[in-house]
Amino acid sequence: MVSAKTKVINPQGLHMRPAQIFVSAMKEMDCDVRVLSKGKSADAKSIMSLMLACIKQGAEIEIQCSGPQEEEALRKALELIESGLDDM
Amino acid sequence: MILRGIAASDGIGLGRAVCLREINLDYSHIPYSGREAEKARLQAGIAAFARRTAAMAAEIRERVGEKEAEILTGQAAMLADPYMRAQMEEAIEGGACAEAAADGVCTMYAGMFAGVADEAMRQRSADVRDMRRRLLAILLGAEEPDLSQLASGSVLVARDLTPSMTVGLDKENTAAILTETGGWTSHSAILARALGLPAVLSIPKALAFIKDGDRLIVDGGNGAVILHPDEGTRSEYRRRQEAFHAQRALLAGYRDRPTVDADGRRYRLCANVGSAAEARAALHAGAEGIGLFRTEFMFMNRANPPGEAEQYEAYREAARIMAGRDVVIRTLDVGGDKAAACLDMEAEENPFLGCRAIRYCLARPELYKVQLRALLRAGAEGKNIRIMLPMVSCVEEVRAARALLDACKAELEAEQRPYDKDMVMGVMIETPSAALIAGLLAKECGFFSIGTNDLIQYTMAADRGNAQVENLYSVFQPAVLRAIRHVIAAAKEAGIPVGMCGEAAADPAVIPLLIAWGLDEFSVSTASVLSTRACVSRWQGCEADKLARKALEQSTAAGAEGCLRAAVETSRGQAPPA
Repeated sequence: MVSAKTKVINPQGLHMRPAQIFVSAMKEMDCDVRVLSKGKSADAKSIMSLMLACIKQGAEIEIQCSGPQEEEALRKALELIESGLDDM
Repeated sequence: MILRGIAASDGIGLGRAVCLREINLDYSHIPYSGREAEKARLQAGIAAFARRTAAMAAEIRERVGEKEAEILTGQAAMLADPYMRAQMEEAIEGGACAEAAADGVCTMYAGMFAGVADEAMRQRSADVRDMRRRLLAILLGAEEPDLSQLASGSVLVARDLTPSMTVGLDKENTAAILTETGGWTSHSAILARALGLPAVLSIPKALAFIKDGDRLIVDGGNGAVILHPDEGTRSEYRRRQEAFHAQRALLAGYRDRPTVDADGRRYRLCANVGSAAEARAALHAGAEGIGLFRTEFMFMNRANPPGEAEQYEAYREAARIMAGRDVVIRTLDVGGDKAAACLDMEAEENPFLGCRAIRYCLARPELYKVQLRALLRAGAEGKNIRIMLPMVSCVEEVRAARALLDACKAELEAEQRPYDKDMVMGVMIETPSAALIAGLLAKECGFFSIGTNDLIQYTMAADRGNAQVENLYSVFQPAVLRAIRHVIAAAKEAGIPVGMCGEAAADPAVIPLLIAWGLDEFSVSTASVLSTRACVSRWQGCEADKLARKALEQSTAAGAEGCLRAAVETSRGQAPPA
């Protein structure tokens, strides 16, 4: 398993549109991807799970990937979150 | 019988009712036909849902806008969620039919969203409920009514028009729209205006009064619906409908023209709006910018004030819609007759003379800074947002607001966030004190906008809602006319632009005065944009000057209004009536 911490910068947080972008990218990856925030763990391949975690702008999150494509998935996840998910 | 509702889209429609009643989603009679069969039905239902939703989203994007289409693409994304799908299949394994599985899982998620602390996320609950309704309808074969082939002159009567109902709407044969719910910015209203169909919304129990085939007249300009009109009434409304179309056709010629008077002098003609959706409608109607964006609606009917992110989104959306054109955003104007439960305001003996608007905000710098930061950030992209301070009555208020704005800029600088460093701040002139010291205020700000509604009320010390003093409440009162002239002159002398955003700016009898005195910008309701442009085009500066001098010689409101209205009548000549 690989993991890294980052911060959500887009103004809406992981709301409908940004969550959609993130989830559809993660679904491509052959590994488990979880987003940890404030003690809660959400499945990054489930838009419902991710939205119900209510991850807002400024939130410190940890991304954990485990499986064959874990390295690539983590890199892609960080890149998306840190670019503001096309929402800045 | 006359039914009243919200005037959501102008125009007159005559025709017969087509009632769209809620479809029956009862599935208690559906037998369980085995796990594989139920799973297959569920798969087919979900696939049909996805296809239909994609088609609807494409059409809504084209006809209404990207933001409205996103609601639908979001629903499709949610239904594609692997957990939702797995939970539905699990319910089927446990003996539930496809309908019961879909109902149970959607209802559970709607409940989960309804329970979260984040306001914006709570709204997703309504999306999940709409998804449930549509998926059940597909599974039950209870199709949404087909509105693609209607009889000529159909008046649609519905509880609410959802995007799914209106896809493929036969608009040629639709005479008008009428609903039991929804306001000016609801989907139904936006759609009706985009299609140019008259609409009256929020008529309580419309479906209880109206039956299929009933004759109806819908007056979208007045928010009135006449049920079972007699022949005399129908011919009267047919005449009005023709006049409306003739007028609209004449005014349509002004839509893409600049706003110029008969001498060719340019003015800016903007619209007053309360949301990004209204800004889009204003742009479509021919507005050259937004002269007044009211922010108080965002604070109403909710438990907590909107945060910086939510405000930023709303302002940035308006700025994007109006890209290249100015958007003047008025900071929170609460108090007086405008209450906001989430702000916990103290009851005052005299609210119109109390702690309202800029006074309230300056007393709560933490609340005010949230709005100022959101504005500064929202302006970073297009540099077209301007800030307007409401209810200013002394120079200190402008300085205090500027100090807070500078503090916000310093914070954003330190946080390395993009913001508009040069955002212009202006003052709304709506108190007699501000009018009297206009010369001093002009040195402290970037522009003026005259708010006539409050300026009249405070200058005349007459409550605009009180019928007993309505003779005093008039823009033609010599004191009010002098105040307006003085403010415009002070702005000219200081070299800052001056606009007017009250209702008077669209009054054909006031327009020649504003032309004579040198107003730069008119900001009017969206519905008045074209008639105002037509009206401005009729005046030559020298005629307007002469008339303005004559109006100011009058010692009474009746005298001034009389001479102005008479001059407007004679000036019309071959030009279209306003």
